Amino acid sequence: MATEIKIPADLWEEDEDAVITSWLVDDGAGVEQGALIAEIMTAKVQYEILAPASGIVRIKEEADAVVPKGAVIGTVE
Amino acid sequence: MTALRLADAAEGIAREAGLLAAGRPAVLLWQAEAPALVVPAAWARRASFVEAGAECARLGWPVLARSSGGGGVPQGPAVLNLAIVLPAAGLTLEAGYGLICGAFREALTRFEIASGTGPVEGAFCDGRWNVTVAGRKLVGTAQRWSAAEGRRTALIHAAMLLDRPEPRFWEALGHVHRAAGLRVDPKPEAHLAVSEILPRTMRPGALIGAVARAAEDRLAAALGESSPAA
Repeated sequence: MATEIKIPADLWEEDEDAVITSWLVDDGAGVEQGALIAEIMTAKVQYEILAPASGIVRIKEEADAVVPKGAVIGTVE
Repeated sequence: MTALRLADAAEGIAREAGLLAAGRPAVLLWQAEAPALVVPAAWARRASFVEAGAECARLGWPVLARSSGGGGVPQGPAVLNLAIVLPAAGLTLEAGYGLICGAFREALTRFEIASGTGPVEGAFCDGRWNVTVAGRKLVGTAQRWSAAEGRRTALIHAAMLLDRPEPRFWEALGHVHRAAGLRVDPKPEAHLAVSEILPRTMRPGALIGAVARAAEDRLAAALGESSPAA
């Protein structure tokens, strides 16, 4: 069962989008839960995204994609 | 507390990164001796940037890349940097900005200078959380949140202009803006500096001290502690 990699929904109050500044792992890479896998930017804040589970990362939204808060940007299978 | 005088902005950025990695609450004030034009690393990676970088260096504003986003900003003796590091549990981005902007606004109030927060059209590295005086940008802010060792920590950063950047800075900033594909250059008149608003009888060091105390007080309050400066 896949676990969603999500942009936090409660980190900021405004309906401002975020930009995925970089994926730090490749699509298909194996990761451990809690590993740093991506960075996003919103409202001049750089924020680190951690792997929500151990497994294989499947990237859904590529770097430079603009996504709303709460968006699913990938999964860990 | 006085501002730490560092050789260059790279040293200041590295010290801030070290505090964030350590994950312990801290307040750091610093100024760089050497001028630099600090830009997002994404700008500096562009092929078009090589020529712009050389031109900036010729103007006396060598380019330094930082890992975070935003826009080009000056660093040097005329810029005061404040970094506040604290646990991010329960914090929102807005609360983080409110904390650091509040420290500057409280300090300015002590000198009877009215301030606000908000975007400023034409300002460099503009955002919603500038500290403004008379509608012009005095302080810019940004944040970096780390999750090292499974512990969320926030680094909230602000930079305040003590003196207006010299004309060559604006020329250099125009070069990097065009190299980054931006069509509109920032306007000097969108900014102002401490030297323009502080009463003549006051030294900038007094305001810097007030900013430090306000930052320490607000950090202590955020941590639920009594302030050592109180």
